[in-house]
Amino acid sequence: MGIIFTRMFSSLFGNREARILVLGLDNAGKTTILYRLQMGEVVSTIPTIGFNVETVQYNNIKFQVWDLGGQTSIRPYWRCYFPNTQAIIYVVDSSDTDRLVIAKEEFHAILEEEELKGAVVLIFANKQDLPGALDDAAVTEALELHKIKNRQWAIFKTSAIKGEGLFEGLDWLSNTLKSGSG
Amino acid sequence: MSGHDSKYFSTTKKGEIPELKEELNSQYKDKRKDAVKKVIAAMTVGKDVSSLFTDVVNCMQTENLELKKLVYLYLINYAKSQPDLAILAVNTFVKDSQDPNPLIRALAVRTMGCIRVDKITEYLCDPLQRCLKDDDPYVRKTASICVAKLYDINAELVEDRGFLESLKDLISDNNPMVVANAVAALAEIQENSNRPIFEITGHTLSKLLTALNECTEWGQVFILDALSKYKAADAREAENIVERVTPRLQHANCAVVLSAVKMILQQMELITSTDVVRNLCKKMAPPLVTLLSAEPEIQYVALRNINLIVQRRPTILAHEIKVFFCKYNDPIYVKMEKLEIMIKLASDRNIDQVLLEFKEYATEVDVDFVRKAVRAIGRCAIKLERAAERCISVLLELIKIKVNYVVQEAIIVIKDIFRRYPNTYESIIATLCESLDTLDEPEAKASMIWIIGEYAERIDNADELLESFLESFPEEPAQVQLQLLTATVKLFLKKPTEGPQQMIQVVLNNATVETDNPDLRDRAYIYWRLLSTDPEAAKDVVLAEKPVISDDSNQLDSSLLDELLANIATLSSVYHKPPEAFVTRVKTTAQRTEEEDYPDGSETGNSESPAYGADTGASPPTSSSSVPYAASRQPAPAAAAPAPAPAPAAPVPDLLGDLIGLDNSAIVPVDQPTEPAGPPLPVLLPAATGQGLQISAQLTRRDGQIFYSMSFENNSQIPLDGFMIQFNKNSFGLAAAGPLQVPQLQPGTSARTLLPMVLFQNIAPGPPNTLLQVAVKNSQQPVWYFNDKISLLVLFSEDGRMERGNFLETWRSIPDSNEVSKDFPGIVVNSVESTLDRLAASNMFFIAKRKHANQDVLYISAKIPRGIPFLIELTTVIGIPGVKCAVKTPSPEMAPLFFEGIENLLMG
Repeated sequence: MGIIFTRMFSSLFGNREARILVLGLDNAGKTTILYRLQMGEVVSTIPTIGFNVETVQYNNIKFQVWDLGGQTSIRPYWRCYFPNTQAIIYVVDSSDTDRLVIAKEEFHAILEEEELKGAVVLIFANKQDLPGALDDAAVTEALELHKIKNRQWAIFKTSAIKGEGLFEGLDWLSNTLKSGSG
Repeated sequence: MSGHDSKYFSTTKKGEIPELKEELNSQYKDKRKDAVKKVIAAMTVGKDVSSLFTDVVNCMQTENLELKKLVYLYLINYAKSQPDLAILAVNTFVKDSQDPNPLIRALAVRTMGCIRVDKITEYLCDPLQRCLKDDDPYVRKTASICVAKLYDINAELVEDRGFLESLKDLISDNNPMVVANAVAALAEIQENSNRPIFEITGHTLSKLLTALNECTEWGQVFILDALSKYKAADAREAENIVERVTPRLQHANCAVVLSAVKMILQQMELITSTDVVRNLCKKMAPPLVTLLSAEPEIQYVALRNINLIVQRRPTILAHEIKVFFCKYNDPIYVKMEKLEIMIKLASDRNIDQVLLEFKEYATEVDVDFVRKAVRAIGRCAIKLERAAERCISVLLELIKIKVNYVVQEAIIVIKDIFRRYPNTYESIIATLCESLDTLDEPEAKASMIWIIGEYAERIDNADELLESFLESFPEEPAQVQLQLLTATVKLFLKKPTEGPQQMIQVVLNNATVETDNPDLRDRAYIYWRLLSTDPEAAKDVVLAEKPVISDDSNQLDSSLLDELLANIATLSSVYHKPPEAFVTRVKTTAQRTEEEDYPDGSETGNSESPAYGADTGASPPTSSSSVPYAASRQPAPAAAAPAPAPAPAAPVPDLLGDLIGLDNSAIVPVDQPTEPAGPPLPVLLPAATGQGLQISAQLTRRDGQIFYSMSFENNSQIPLDGFMIQFNKNSFGLAAAGPLQVPQLQPGTSARTLLPMVLFQNIAPGPPNTLLQVAVKNSQQPVWYFNDKISLLVLFSEDGRMERGNFLETWRSIPDSNEVSKDFPGIVVNSVESTLDRLAASNMFFIAKRKHANQDVLYISAKIPRGIPFLIELTTVIGIPGVKCAVKTPSPEMAPLFFEGIENLLMG
């Protein structure tokens, strides 16, 4: 009896699951963001050859967060993770201005993917703590975000090290997902 | 109709793979786990589920150990077929290798080693490095095996990342299982490498011996196998090691027992004390006997190994022959092996019992076994002279039971017995002839025909008997035809009467015109020509005396035996084949050529040389008697020459000389210039005994090479040429490295030559002595034999110099019982310097000098080949007669030879 009640409750008021991909070039800070979200701590990371997957509970939503390695050699395999994805968190190293062009190309290539058509996009302009980091407006410009059509998106200034901006982004994400697919 | 058939191609079912794919991506853990189980199930029954690779790998990061293990299993199976996607698993491996649970850490590192994908090996090095230094011994021991696996994939990487050093460190680990696995890994790496990677030192030795007592049974096997490759420095160390290992003989695991036996056998080679060896033999018997109470399959393996052990050390099981008696319910393969070992263990003491057994076996039902039993009786007869008569009577009893195949087998072995003991047992021929009609197998027929021909003069109706065979001559197998031909010729030569004369016509006709077999035809033509030109020569050839045979069947060549003994408890010792014969190492074949600069390689080179010696061993007697020898074995070719020519013996020794010369051509230039002059050499063959030929000779050493300096003086009336030399077996295996180069000697002239020599070719058994027996022949004279003395000084090698520290260490390492001393009361040392110079000229190197009262004590080192050192202490008072010489060496039996040599040196 209790179990049935719990199930009804959770289906009505949340505890929904969402599959989220964290993408971005290597050394953008994806793994750090993942563990900052999951454990609230900064962990020391090494380049992710492959993937990390963790569950993050936030705002009654159970995010299944897939952090995929950003190395050139691994990017071709991102597509293996595209099916059934509700949202993409695209992480950009705002201080790495040289590679913003590549970041932009990879980003738009993702948006083209058929399997990700329904996914909302959250962009983290990360590493704001570093000197010379571009702000969100500059990153928006560099990534040509205004070209995005038929898709909900948002950009946040973040610093994974300091923990700034991450949960604001997640707030936006949970609200969008709740309202979007009911 | 056809329009409706398309429905068979469209289906609403998605099929198994897409269904599984969907389940694998389910958001529910339980569903995912079930899906992975389904995938594994499909995989195990052989369905290709490799297309689910990423989906399965995505389930890898889980706290559920069961699920993790299943995914790992999948990875091991399919990573090779999806090498690109395998990279997606790397991060999880790295994480798992740092998991708080040691089981997961070990699981990760073990699976990493099993995934043989080049692209990802590099990423696995860091986790492996960490796991090798893990706090948990279970992780360390798993990681050490992983290093060996990685070495197989990428040897360079392992060496660059210093994994070998880490492994070597693990030998000193405090956990015995880690030690055992590190040893196993290093041993495997060593096998795949041609550089010395894993060498046991005194330090590691003690670690291994300690770990041996504490680790699991399979760990013990690894350690024992590694120890069996260790070359102990001296007999005492070998004894110590063996003493620590003997308790393993009592282990319940037969693999441990066999590995321990192997290890002890290897070390026993170094142990000189006969008491210790006898004791060890005594200790090894019960465990080997116990192996025979296991299942038949294990018995078989044990028996194959025992077969080898018995060939090297028959004493171990000499008193245990009873355990090799066949039980009625033994499987046939066990019985056959037991028979083989019974033959090897049969001795004058137990032959009665053994014969009773054999007789019993010969009446059993299995034909192959019965045959082998009958053959065994024959082989015992040949082996044991004193038992031959009893064996024969058993064989006769067996013939009387008239079982066809028993009779046939008996006749085959009796033929061999006749060859072994000529003119002893011919009285039984009559009995044999009784069963003539029953023979239907070629070998038995051929044997019987040989007997009839050989003893034609004693068999009254030999011609009739042969005639009965002749009727079917064209239909007989070649083996029988050849024997019939020879037997008929023998009969004719022995009884040249009318009957045989007709027979021989028929046979020769049949064997020449009527046959297609070239062997038969050639032999027949040669007989024909012999008989028609010179019947007396034909008699000499055909009826020549035969050399006595011995039973060497199933006896392994000694170098092969060495190799097989080193491989006891492996497949090699069961097959009785060296490992190279049935396994190939794909990876390292290309590098094998460099093996020369690798110590183990030279080791095998040495162990081969005795076999070499065995080959040459046959040649010395042939120089005088090779003609009848060759004739009796192979009538055809030798008989082609009408009569023994003056120099027919040449090819055999010459060929051997060439072979040896070739072999050493790198060290010795074969065309040594003849030495024009020099100090007079001692005369060894005076002209009076040598029909005018005088030979003087002496062993000398030049530039690290031993030469036999020889001088030939022709005082006879005729020119002499075609000189050849042979050395008999001697304690140091000295033999000529090339042919003797002496020009034709005109009467009244002389020639000198330097003959390069090699060591360890043909070693005479027994305690060492200085005797060197030499045979020299030329084309005009008979063979001359003379004796020379080997001076130990000639053998001292240039590398005998030692550092002081090394000298002291060696001195301490050799037990005091190995020290021998002798006084030379008549010798005076007038100057230390000149004495030392003289010693140095003979490669005896000065180490140190000390004053003791008014005495001078000199320490000197020298070394003979194979690295046997001589540590010498000379005590004397300058200018006063009397020198005391003490020598310490691992081979004290050489001391008398040494004293003889140094006495000559100090006097001269």
